[in-house]
Order: sequence, then C-alpha cells, then structure tokens
Amino acid sequence: MNAWLIETEELTRTYRVGTTDVHALRGVSMQVASGEFVALMGPSGSGKSTMMHLLGCLDTPTAGRYALESRDVSRLTVDERAYVRNRRIGFVFQTFNLLARLSALDNVMLPLLYRGRVTDAKRRALEALRRVGLEQRAQHRPMELSGGERQRVAIARALITDPALILADEPTGNLDSQTGKEIMQLLIELSTAGRTIIMVTHDASVAASAQRVVHMRDGQIVTG
Amino acid sequence: MTLLNSFRTAVLGLSGNKLRAVLTALGVIIGVASVIATLALGNGARAAVESNFRFLGSDQIQIDAQLRFKESSGETKLAGKSMSYEDGLLMPDEVPLVDRVEMTVQTQGKVRQGRVVLDMTIVGTTVDQLATLAQSSQVQPVHWPEGKPLTVEAFLGQGRFFTPAEVSDGAAVCVLGYQTALDLFEGDDPLGQLVWVNRKPCEVIGVVTELETVEAAQRLRSKPNEGFYLPISTAIRNLYANEPSVSITAHVTDQTRMDEAKAQVTNFLRQRHNVVADAEGNYNDDFYLLTKSDVLGAQQEAARTFSLLLTALAVVALIVGGIGIMNVMLVSVTERTREIGVRLAVGARRRDIVSQFLLEAILLSAVSGLLGIASGILAVPLAASLNNGIALLDPTSIPLSFSVALLTGVIFGLYPALRAARLDPIEALRYE
Ligand SMILES: Nc1ncnc2c1ncn2[C@@H]1O[C@H](COP(=O)(O)OP(=O)(O)O)[C@@H](O)[C@H]1O
Ligand SMILES: [Mg+2]
Repeated sequence: MNAWLIETEELTRTYRVGTTDVHALRGVSMQVASGEFVALMGPSGSGKSTMMHLLGCLDTPTAGRYALESRDVSRLTVDERAYVRNRRIGFVFQTFNLLARLSALDNVMLPLLYRGRVTDAKRRALEALRRVGLEQRAQHRPMELSGGERQRVAIARALITDPALILADEPTGNLDSQTGKEIMQLLIELSTAGRTIIMVTHDASVAASAQRVVHMRDGQIVTG
Repeated sequence: MTLLNSFRTAVLGLSGNKLRAVLTALGVIIGVASVIATLALGNGARAAVESNFRFLGSDQIQIDAQLRFKESSGETKLAGKSMSYEDGLLMPDEVPLVDRVEMTVQTQGKVRQGRVVLDMTIVGTTVDQLATLAQSSQVQPVHWPEGKPLTVEAFLGQGRFFTPAEVSDGAAVCVLGYQTALDLFEGDDPLGQLVWVNRKPCEVIGVVTELETVEAAQRLRSKPNEGFYLPISTAIRNLYANEPSVSITAHVTDQTRMDEAKAQVTNFLRQRHNVVADAEGNYNDDFYLLTKSDVLGAQQEAARTFSLLLTALAVVALIVGGIGIMNVMLVSVTERTREIGVRLAVGARRRDIVSQFLLEAILLSAVSGLLGIASGILAVPLAASLNNGIALLDPTSIPLSFSVALLTGVIFGLYPALRAARLDPIEALRYE
C-alpha cells in the first residue's frame, strides 16, 4: 500500500477582492508521505499560509482536489471540516493563540472539549505537557509563561489529539533565535518519533532541519 | 461538548467582565422584581377579598342601613330609615329574583341561669344561622379533618336549631354556644333548661359544637364558642324598646342576574323607605347593597392601576435588560474573536460556539433573575404599603419570573451567539 498521507491535485484558491480576483494558489499538486517533515518556503504573499489553511481544512479550495489519508476533504461542510480538524490535524501558530483565561493544562485539553465525553482528558493533557517538558507549568496561565513555553503549550495542544498531521505556520517567527532553536529541536524530535509535520518558515537554517523543502512563488510550487 | 464543560466555559467567559455583566443585569433585575410585585398585588387583592368577604356567597346581596347625617335648623340629625324586620320579611314576596332572606340583629344583653349572670352579645337570627356559619369557612368544629366539607349538622353539638315556625312566631327558645353552655350550666345538661335573657325566660333547645377559627393565627383572639342565639322575632320583642336595625342577606335565585336582582331590591327598598329622586334625579338612598363581585371589582380596580404601571415597568425593564445583555454579548464576541478562531481551529462546531455564548447569556440572565427575585420579594412589602397594605407574594410568580428572565437571555443572547458561530476561523485567528 503506497498511499500518500496528503495528496493535492491542481489545488487552486482565488480570493475575490472587490471586482478583481487575487490568485493565492494557482494549481498546486503535491504529495506528502506519512512521517515526512516538510518545510514550506517562499517570499511573502507566495501563498504559503493559504496552502496551510487548505491543508488544515480551515478553508476550501476554489478548484482542485485535496485528499487527506486517501479521503477527499476538499468539498466538506463547515461542521465536517471541524470534525477533521478536531480528529486529524494539529495547528501551531506563529502567535501561539492560547486562551488567556485558561491554564496551560486547560489550553492543552481544549480540542478534547469538542469530543463529547473524554474520561482521560486530564491525563492525556498532562502527558502532552510532559512530552514538551512543561508538566510542572500545568496550572500556569499563558501570561505567566515565556514565549518559548507558550509555543510548547501550543505544540502540546496540537499533540493531544494524536493527529495525522501537524501544521506549523512560522512557529519560530515570534521567538528569539535561541528559543527558536529549542522549538525546532522539539519539532525534530516529534518528527523522529514519526509525526508528519508541515512547517512554514522564512529561515533557511530552520528549513535545513526538515527532510524536504518545498519552495513556492506566486501561488505555485517551484521546487520540491 | 459535555454540559459540565459548557457550563465551566460559560462561567469563565462571564467572570472576565463582572462589573459590566452586573450593570447589564440591572434591567433584568428590575424587570423580574416588577413581575413579582405585580403578581403580588393581584394575589393580595384576591386574598383580601377572600378573607374579608368569605361570608358573602356569590348568590347573596348583603343589605345594610346607610344612615346619613343631615343638618336641619342648626341641629344634626340622622336621616333615613334603618333596615327593618318587616323589610326583610316582605322581600322574598315582593322582589321576584329574591327567594329567601337571612336576617340578624345583635345587641348586648344579660343572660342568667341560677346564680350565673353573663354579659354578652345576643344574636337574634333566622333559621339559617348555622348554614351561614358553615358557609363562611371562618370557623369549623375543632379537630375537623382538613379538606372535609362542612355540613350544617356538623355544627350542632346537642339538640336542634330553630324551626321556621319558632322564628316567625317568636318562640321562647334559645341555642347556646359551647363555652356559654359550660359557663351557664357548669357541665350539667342544658337541654330543656330555662335561662333568663333580660328577665325573659327561654328554653335551651340546642348547643353549638365546640368551634375554632379556620385560620390558626386568629385562634387566640377570637371567641367562636361564646354565643347566644334567639329567633329574631323573639329577640326583637324581648330585647328592644324600638324597631331595631336588621342586617339582611338576600339570596338571589339566579346568580347570572345579580345586577337585575340588585335593581329590584333597590326599587323595593326605595318604595318602602320613601326615597324619592331629588331635582337632579339622584336618589339619596339610606341603604347599601353589596355583592361579592362588587367587592372583588373594587379591590381589583385599585390593584389594576398599580399593576398596569408595574407591568409596563417590567416590560420596559426586561427589554432594556435584554438589549443590555445583547450588547454585552456582542462586545464579548468581538473581544473574543481570536478565542473563537482558536476554538474553531481545534474543532469546535458552529453549534458548540452558539451554545457557549447562548449559555453565557442565559447564565447572565439567570443570575440577574435570582437577584431580581430577591429584590422582588423585598419589594412586596413596599408595594403593599403603596396599595393599602394589599399585596401578597404569589409563590408561582417566582418560577414564572425566573422563566421570563431566562427567556430574555435566550432571545437577546441568540443573535450575538449566532454571529459568533458565523465567524470564519481564518479571519478570526487573524483578528487583532
Ligand atoms: N482573505 C484574503 N482576501 C484576499 N486576499 C488574500 C486573503 N488571504 C490571502 N490573500 C492574498 O493571497 C496571496 C497569498 O497570501 P498568503 O497565503 O498569506 O501568503 P504567504 O503566507 O506566503 O505570505 C497574497 O497576495 C494575499 O494578499
Ligand atoms: Mg503567511
């Protein structure tokens, strides 16, 4: 069985701004195998985030096809996409996006909240926090954590659902270079442990950590 | 999402802006309190009529003299005639819609038996005195089982009550209250014995059973067992020098024609008392007719004006409160746009977001509702003081007003919640 984890065909996304069309993606075909660590690079406005949104089922393509785990997910309803995000995808954002009023533990548990009754939610959240080395910070609010620690909590939140795919859009963009390296180290560890990761970055040295670098320009893949 | 988690999320969401929430709640608090006060007024009016006019059946017209002071040549004199025994006797024959009347007279008198002399109220009455007692629901035989209907027989302890013939002939017979019988005969059998009322003899033919007031609160003050009853004609002949003023209760044959019956009684009494129209066509009646619906009407009229005001206040306050809730929720949705984006990104469905914000609105209105209920309960005495002391907390108004508060939360919380759920996750995550 040689199925791709991700397979896109001529993926197209066009935004309509007033009377003009903005072509964010112009037919992107790409395959990612399970367990791969892919870095997505390209100049600003080349369509990296748009691609990540589509891969993360936050958005639907204007045209083209996207199969995740061999299932076409490019034409799902709003709630069906929410389900896929909840079960199969973990997000790591540049700005962390933690909820300020929740403790680190509760932030990590958030995805499980939308799964009905999960009896071992707390145990799983603690385990995810331990995985990122923050179990002793479980009761801290985001305000009481450093930038690197916040991003670790966000990674733990992405891990708790045991997703098929982790999408990280410039995860080190808001961190100093030392902290950025530590976060990269963590992502490399996760990759080594078998996680599939697609990461957007501007930094060539960061991209060097990945197994494969995909370059984009004007909404198309140029190399990779 | 499980209910417990939804609840936790909502509490957390609200605790973020307590002061604003409480200010918003003010409208709902006032609204709920007004609902409770309004219903208390209506309930109080009803209860007042029920307790003060229990004795008045729906088929009855209570007729009392209403004498007026009249200035004539420097002297103040009473004008008009009081109700006479003859007025009452003639009424069933002369007034088509009245089939029978009850009459009573009351006066202080001396009752003697052997060496015992009692100074007490003597009641002269027609045959239905016991039925009237039973109907009044104010007194009952002691240890009477709750809810068991009262019968006339239940009131008679020993012997019998007057016959119609004894009443019309003025027979020298009497019926004693339970305590009065004990006081006079000290445990001996009173039946067949003679007692003296203002030096006139009468034979004891019956004793009323031991009674207590239905309302436990009144038991210390009232003395339902002190009583001395004579046929009304006997009382009038033996106890009065002049024609006494008689209290008359007329029974109407058809309850649906009370107004017609009142008109007939009025005509009859105007003729008997020679009341004629003055120059402007007004009658200066010397009597006063009262029916249960008159009393209810007057009482409710007073409560209605006030209730109307409060209802208007409640509606306005609830709308203001509702708009306040909507406003707080809209601001909250805007402020928490990113939070909504995060929740959507990790898999919240639209209905999860709707229920989160709706639950917050409902929680807000529920807390306001509880505060409103507390204020409302405290406001009832205030409403009473503004309405002649007539206001009584209606227990059903508590769940009712709470539901109204919750409903306000649902109605005004729905729009902000739907707006939150319609957010695009990407836009929401990008929101600053
Ligand atoms: N919501 C949107 N509406 C209109 N144009 C958009 C929107 N999102 C992205 N774009 C446009 O699509 C192109 C690709 O954007 P993006 O994917 O964010 O690029 P990158 O992440 O590589 O910087 C840009 O020209 C951008 O202006
Ligand atoms: Mg971008």
